[in-house]
Amino acid sequence: MAAAHVALPLPVLPQGWTAEKDFKPLGKISKPIQRSIEPVGPHFLAHARRKRHHRTFSEDER
Amino acid sequence: MSAEEDNGVTVTPPERLAIGIAFGNSNSSIAHTGSDGKPVVIANEEGDRQIPSVLSYIEGEEFHGNQAKTQLIRNSKNTVAYFRDYIGKSFDSIDPSASHASAHPQKHDKTVAFSIHDTSSESPNTVTVQEIASRHLKRLISSASDFLGQSVNAVVITVPTNFSEDQKKELEAAARDAKVELLQFIPEPIAAALAYDARPETEVRDKIIVVADLGGTRSDVTVLASRGGMYSILATSHDYEFAGQNLDQVLIDHFAKEFIKKNKSDPRENPRGLAKLKHESEATKKALSLGTNATISIESLSEGIDFSSTVNRIRYETLANKVFGGITRLIEDTVKKAELDLLDVDEVILSGGTSHTPKIASNIATIFSQTTRVLAPSTLATAINPSELTARGAAIQASLVQEFDVDDIVQSAHPMVTVAPHLHNAIGVLLLSGDASRGIFRPVLDPETPVPAKRTVTFATPREGGDVLIKICEGIRDIKVTKPEPKPKTNGATVKDADEDDSDMSDSDEEEEEEDLRERAWKVGTELAEVAIKGVKKGGKVEITLNVNAELGLQVVAREVGSKTGVRGVVEKPEH
Ligand SMILES: Nc1ncnc2c1ncn2[C@@H]1O[C@H](COP(=O)(O)OP(=O)(O)OP(=O)(O)O)[C@@H](O)[C@H]1O
Ligand SMILES: [Mg+2]
Repeated sequence: MAAAHVALPLPVLPQGWTAEKDFKPLGKISKPIQRSIEPVGPHFLAHARRKRHHRTFSEDER
Repeated sequence: MSAEEDNGVTVTPPERLAIGIAFGNSNSSIAHTGSDGKPVVIANEEGDRQIPSVLSYIEGEEFHGNQAKTQLIRNSKNTVAYFRDYIGKSFDSIDPSASHASAHPQKHDKTVAFSIHDTSSESPNTVTVQEIASRHLKRLISSASDFLGQSVNAVVITVPTNFSEDQKKELEAAARDAKVELLQFIPEPIAAALAYDARPETEVRDKIIVVADLGGTRSDVTVLASRGGMYSILATSHDYEFAGQNLDQVLIDHFAKEFIKKNKSDPRENPRGLAKLKHESEATKKALSLGTNATISIESLSEGIDFSSTVNRIRYETLANKVFGGITRLIEDTVKKAELDLLDVDEVILSGGTSHTPKIASNIATIFSQTTRVLAPSTLATAINPSELTARGAAIQASLVQEFDVDDIVQSAHPMVTVAPHLHNAIGVLLLSGDASRGIFRPVLDPETPVPAKRTVTFATPREGGDVLIKICEGIRDIKVTKPEPKPKTNGATVKDADEDDSDMSDSDEEEEEEDLRERAWKVGTELAEVAIKGVKKGGKVEITLNVNAELGLQVVAREVGSKTGVRGVVEKPEH
């Protein structure tokens, strides 16, 4: 997908902000919902190819 | 994947020619995607692209499509119509009312059958719905083969979202009997969405889509999340009271009343009169989608009396208002069922023949916000013919999977592949301020995005550049409701001071009735990470890539656009 652009500016870094390598993890992503993706369309096919390849890959490792 | 290596021997499957079939209770359509990648809806020998799903028999000869549909007037007992929804069902579980004016469905073992004179013999035969479906598919396939000049041997068929596994099994058997390989069943609303999204000019964009498939005997509404070009169904509903034939009924009753007034007899009381009136009322209804007036004219409608009349669109719309209202309500209810607000909907696709009705499309447009795109012929010049959407989508899918082994297609549709965690909240960044109470949240990944997923967005920076903060957090969709500004009483004087106390005092009942202003907003949820990008040039932009893996771990990459170095970091996966 083409990268979108947002015109509103990012905030100024607060005085005294520090973090190792300028990155500070704070929390975790909330619990997701399990759903099915419909097996239709070109983007799904690409997804299926990735996922099935990965699956056989990890099975091979076992 | 056309040639599979097997013990070192390359096996080439027989050449496939695949088409898409939209198989409705009322009509079917066939479509093929040629080498230019564009789906084409194929006309049958009579020149019809909407081919009534009807078979009729006269002295052993089979009629199909519109030729069969006209037989509902003279030969209704040997005419089988509206049978798609009976496939794979027990007699006790069907609603046979759509077939009251054609061959009646009957109980046959565990399935449904029709007793019809389909040969020249005196006695009728019991023909199962599976056999009828197979004959119908054969006719469709033969029309497609004639058109393409080559035998069609594989199909993708669209089915409603509530078509059960048993129903699919029986329809698959019908396809087998029709000597075609069934590549895949795909849901009707997904086919409709694909027909639009596969157009070369469509950009892949994350969006919430409502597909309203308004047919002859049913209306189906589906709410979809389209994320990175992939579709997940959030909610569906099915209605059998507010569809095309209910609109036919509105006109049947209107014209019948007119006839009664003049002739003191009700044409609905004899089956042939009713069948004629129904046939012509449907044509009148379709004419009213294009023109503002339509004329109906029927020879010998009842007791040998001819009938002719004119109806204008406004009158029809008034009479049909209840059905229109039912359709709009069905859409509202389904959006609610998906736990979304009407403001969350980016696109409404109107599919199915009844979607040609201008008033239905304009009524639907009014319940959504101005920014929601309503894709229907009367609201958008570039809309695709709603009667062709599902067939086109099926044809696109057919061309996509044509080269695959059926086994491969089945494997790809397995839950191991299709079931994925979908984000509950949006993930994005705060703008203007890093303070959750003052910053404005902008999503990078939308809710309902299946993971793994990756999105990149660029952001502006403060006027002077410098060191900027990227605060990554979850966003919870919120609807902000504001009371409308009380309008100042206009008696010539202009109100200069908006804070003037008097303006509050002037609230009248009339003004209070004005609707609240509803807007979509984001509440800041869990804070996930902070990133600093230092020394951004004046006018520089910052590019942020968020990559969520299948375990919900988040990888962040941020850099100033044009700079080679940036910041990388990881938010570990949660324990749940
Ligand atoms: N131009 C039009 N204006 C209004 N209604 C139309 C128009 N064209 C077709 N219709 C109506 O659309 C309905 C058929 O819809 P469609 O072709 O989508 O059938 P379907 O999917 O087989 O229907 P179902 O399965 O619900 O019975 C009929 O009621 C028909 O009268
Ligand atoms: Mg339909």
